[in-house]
Amino acid sequence: MDYAIEMLNITKIFPGIVANDNITLQLKKGEIHALLGENGAGKSTLMSVLFGLYHPENGTIKKDGKVVNIHNPNDANALGIGMVHQHFKLVHNFTVLQNIILGVETTKNGFLKMDEARKKVVSLSELYGLKVDPDALISDITVGMQQRVEILKMLYRENEILIFDEPTAVLTPQEIEELMKIMKNLTAEGKSILFITHKLNEIKEVADRCTVLRKGKYVGTIDVAQATKEQMSEMMVGRKVSFQVEKGDTLPGEPVLEVKNLTVKLRDHSKNSVSNVSFTVRRGEIVCIAGIDGNGQSQLVYALTGLMPLQQGEIKLNGSDITHKSVRQRNIAGIAHIPEDRHKDGLVLDYPLAENLILKQYFTKRFQNGGFLRFKEMYRYSDYLIKKYDIRSGQGSITIARSMSGGNQQKAIVGREIDLDPELLIAVQPTRGLDVGAIEYIHKQLVAQRDEGKAVLLVSLELDEVMEVSDRILVIYEGEIVADLNPKEITVQELGLYMAGSKRSSAV
Amino acid sequence: MKKESIFLSKGFVNATASVIAILVGIVFGFVILLISNPSEAIAGLGYIFRGGFSGGAKGMGQVLYFSTPIILTGLSVGFAFKTGLFNIGAPGQFLTGAFVAILVGVKWTFLPAPFHWIVAVICGTLAGGVWALVPGFFKAYLNVNEVISCIMFNYIGLYGVNFLVKKNIYDSLKALSQNVATTAVLPKAGLDNIFFNTVGNTKDISTLNGGFYIAIAAAVVIYIVLNKTTFGYELKACGYNRFASRYAGINEKRSIVLSMFISGMLSGMGGALLYLSGASGRRIKVVDVLAAEGFSGIPVALLGLSNPIGIVFAGLFISYITIGGDYMQRLDFVPEIIDIIIAVIIYFSAFSLLFRNVIIKILTGKSDKELAAPVAVVDDSAASEEK
Amino acid sequence: MKKLAALLLALVFVLGAAACAPQTEEPATTEAPVSEVPVATEAPVATDAAPADTYEIAMITDIGTIDDKSFNQGTWEGVVAYADANGITRKYYQPTEQSTDAYLAAIQLAVEGGAKVIVTPGFLFETPIFLAQDMYPDVTFILIDGNPHSEDYSEFRTNANAVGIVYAEEQAGYLAGYAAVKDGYTSLGFMGGMAVPAVVRYGYGFVQGADAAAKELNVTVDMKYHYTGGFDATPEVQALASSWYTSGTQVIFGCGGAVGFSVFAAAEENNAKAIGVDVDQSAESETIITSAMKGLGASVQDILAQYYAGTFPAGAALTMDASKAGVALPMAASRFTTFAQADYDALFAKLAAGEITIVKDDIGTDLANVLDLGTTSVTITPVE
Repeated sequence: MDYAIEMLNITKIFPGIVANDNITLQLKKGEIHALLGENGAGKSTLMSVLFGLYHPENGTIKKDGKVVNIHNPNDANALGIGMVHQHFKLVHNFTVLQNIILGVETTKNGFLKMDEARKKVVSLSELYGLKVDPDALISDITVGMQQRVEILKMLYRENEILIFDEPTAVLTPQEIEELMKIMKNLTAEGKSILFITHKLNEIKEVADRCTVLRKGKYVGTIDVAQATKEQMSEMMVGRKVSFQVEKGDTLPGEPVLEVKNLTVKLRDHSKNSVSNVSFTVRRGEIVCIAGIDGNGQSQLVYALTGLMPLQQGEIKLNGSDITHKSVRQRNIAGIAHIPEDRHKDGLVLDYPLAENLILKQYFTKRFQNGGFLRFKEMYRYSDYLIKKYDIRSGQGSITIARSMSGGNQQKAIVGREIDLDPELLIAVQPTRGLDVGAIEYIHKQLVAQRDEGKAVLLVSLELDEVMEVSDRILVIYEGEIVADLNPKEITVQELGLYMAGSKRSSAV
Repeated sequence: MKKESIFLSKGFVNATASVIAILVGIVFGFVILLISNPSEAIAGLGYIFRGGFSGGAKGMGQVLYFSTPIILTGLSVGFAFKTGLFNIGAPGQFLTGAFVAILVGVKWTFLPAPFHWIVAVICGTLAGGVWALVPGFFKAYLNVNEVISCIMFNYIGLYGVNFLVKKNIYDSLKALSQNVATTAVLPKAGLDNIFFNTVGNTKDISTLNGGFYIAIAAAVVIYIVLNKTTFGYELKACGYNRFASRYAGINEKRSIVLSMFISGMLSGMGGALLYLSGASGRRIKVVDVLAAEGFSGIPVALLGLSNPIGIVFAGLFISYITIGGDYMQRLDFVPEIIDIIIAVIIYFSAFSLLFRNVIIKILTGKSDKELAAPVAVVDDSAASEEK
Repeated sequence: MKKLAALLLALVFVLGAAACAPQTEEPATTEAPVSEVPVATEAPVATDAAPADTYEIAMITDIGTIDDKSFNQGTWEGVVAYADANGITRKYYQPTEQSTDAYLAAIQLAVEGGAKVIVTPGFLFETPIFLAQDMYPDVTFILIDGNPHSEDYSEFRTNANAVGIVYAEEQAGYLAGYAAVKDGYTSLGFMGGMAVPAVVRYGYGFVQGADAAAKELNVTVDMKYHYTGGFDATPEVQALASSWYTSGTQVIFGCGGAVGFSVFAAAEENNAKAIGVDVDQSAESETIITSAMKGLGASVQDILAQYYAGTFPAGAALTMDASKAGVALPMAASRFTTFAQADYDALFAKLAAGEITIVKDDIGTDLANVLDLGTTSVTITPVE
């Protein structure tokens, strides 16, 4: 068998944890090989080993059947291994072309020779169907385009083995479709692709084979065509996972959140980010704001939570006006907020877990006494939340948040916010970047909140999530609510049309 | 809480890192010693190691005396570091604090004895705070980088103080600021009974005074504020992540301003304590040079890894070798070379963060990133961000 | 608890490192410095031989470095000249900062270094020497440009192991003023620093010297007279000097710390002349025609010679004037056109012989007092 890359019996140990335990991964030439696993399963560690960032305690790496030693990323590059990172490594005030050639510039007497580079980039983009404008600035192009630039970077360096690290996490459904096409084009031209993901749909769509990791251990490699989604998720999680969100019907109660004519305008922007939005969220319902990223969802939530000033409008919580209240006052009034960006807003990454879990309550009588933090109570509470919400980390309460896996960071935030016992829970993309197990868990929590009679405002970009979880869907397009829909009465396709702005409900 | 080997504890790693940084600095210093004067290099190193001990009890007193201002400016810089700010304005705050303390010490002679120096120290401390407040406001409300405004405020402070000293409290004969009233001089607090040399039948008493106790107390207070109080919790949270603090309902603008104010107060206190040492101590010279004690705060904070207790030791150490270097004049070294050697040692000492990573690597065979984030490596999103 | 243990462990590291460090043979000189001062060797080694263990003549620098082209350097040159000629070891020490305690610490260092004679230039040493003369009765102190007194001026006392030297600034000023007018300049300026006695004496001497020369030549001389109020080189001083030059002043005596540097800069701008002060400043600028010098080096050598000859002026407050070579113009480095060495020698002889009486600062140090000097051939314009 012709393998492009073989990683045989790789074992990598960190203090207190075996990140990779005797893992074998064999990538055939010209195939798309999925690497599937929950957050924290050891996928990134394995890739870091392949890139020479970590040195395994045990195991060998072979390229084209020959044993190779990879000590650093340069070795990996020399072997033709390239990676598209989840967070792009691009210089924002450089053009596409400049970014592509960065580090491998062709020069003559110390001067750049851009013409040759441009020719090569243009021919590559034509060959693989990666349309980009070489002279556009990175800061001006969409995330999907940026990803193409990352792919072109690898191709420009003539990499044979391409690693995609959760490439779809940041893309819109349309962009995902296009990426899948591109990946197929690449393998057709002889490239081999390692595709790291935990989205089963995507694996089903493009991958040839799939290697599954669980908790650092090798579970198995399967032929995708012959496996069902359910089988794969069971391999990944170790138990049966339900894709259906179980929820009964409830009768929404009195309004909790009332928004009237809310308008948000950013400085330096000519257009309103949110214009004249009015809606109500009642007790016992999950209202979902659906829309394509960048249509004003973030600004709407920031305005509701007090993180951003609003131009006009009125916000009422349980009937009392909170339009001009501070963030702290709103929190105390009963707004909990699972933020969109858990690293930026949700956590103080350099604080231990315990300190993060009291981020919204440290000032209460419970956690302070005369200005002094009550550490005992803090650790007790933290241990309680850790247990209740199954937050896993290396050292429990004293683990630095930065060192936790994304899923567990998210669980910590969800646990912290839900445990505030809020009137209104605002959850913004709460499952982004999480694996099916964690997604299932968070969905359950949202439904449980609803069932307890809380109001839940969910902002999501994932159509499946919107359809499954919500009781009512508000579609946002260019800062306006264009439709108020009942998920039971519409199809995903219809929803997509509303989100794309090509359909507008007359009711709103 | 999981028990682990003491060698892996944060405290040990940090302290060892600082020690190794110092040793590396000393090795480099020794190289310069060898180059400049091979025959006396070893003896010179001996003087550096003996530090203040070469000057007997008074010498050790001087070590503590010189450590007082740099411990405080070190605390000032370290406190700001902890709260995410780089207070390079310590020299200006130090000087304004010194000036106001002297002004009170010279002019407010109506104050009775025990209150005079206390009021002078408090006024100096507040003046330093006020001087840092403005860059703090600029940072919080106008998003002006505090480094830039602090540097400008250093010079405004320097020339402003020069002008005001000349106008109000100038001793024209000596071209120095006037002596403060004896009631404004810091009490010796019993230290004069420990740190003195008997020369002939005179007691040669060290300049050291109760200000040293105040510096230590300040370090303890800062330690408690940073680590035990909700206030410190808020300030550190803002330092680590402004956005998350705002999200948590913390008034992050207020926190920035308060951080700078406290940081400036520490520098101002350093100035007040140094310049209230009495007639035989330091006085303000009207020159165009920023106070070295202010800048020394930066290496002190770095060597102490911004930990208030670490800063106390770092300040003592730097003072110790500086005085040691002074005694090296006993040998055939020109003062400039000694300055270079001491500067080299201090310079390398500030690399303790770098050595921290090296130690972790040696102790565990792993890179720091792996130890600091034992789980991050198995985390997809966090780890990829690190790379 | 663990934190504490970790800290202690780290401390052990430090101590261990210190223990491993090369130990010097020298016994600790910490306990009682004075008792351990090594007795001076009978035959002092020459300084250019292997580094000596002790240094017999020590100098403590004032503010600034040893090569400050001013007091430190002038004094040090005297020390070096005498020590090297007589095969005595010498060394200078730089205090950590400008304060009495720091100066005393440097003196302690010098004593531990075996100093028998300590030379200190500058009046800032007045209080430190006042204290040190009691602390180190076996050491001799030579205080240049001042007399020992207590911090609050309540007590002036010079012990038998010390001597205070001041200079007859008025004579130095007189020499400069006389020479300038003799050299053909008729429009002079005096720019003093702060109106402290030394500066005032320079100024009055300068005026009277110019007056004497003008009378001899039967010319009239005009003189602008100003105290800047500080010892700094500032743009204001330079601007004022420049305006004097443009309004016809030919040469300005820049007298007082760094004030001279502003005057020299203005002179260079206007292609005019200036006169330096205290030490030979001719290297500072081509515009300097001469300098009203104190004989720092000469008097240091003089006193050192007396010390070693056993005729040390114990406890004296000396005023070094022309008769003791305490003032001078550096004729070799001067840029005169007509004023010759012979003219200088004649004038100097008269001064040394005490044939010329010069009014000093006792008539008052206010700016207006300069008019009380009673000059006849010099028209003085006091400038506020």
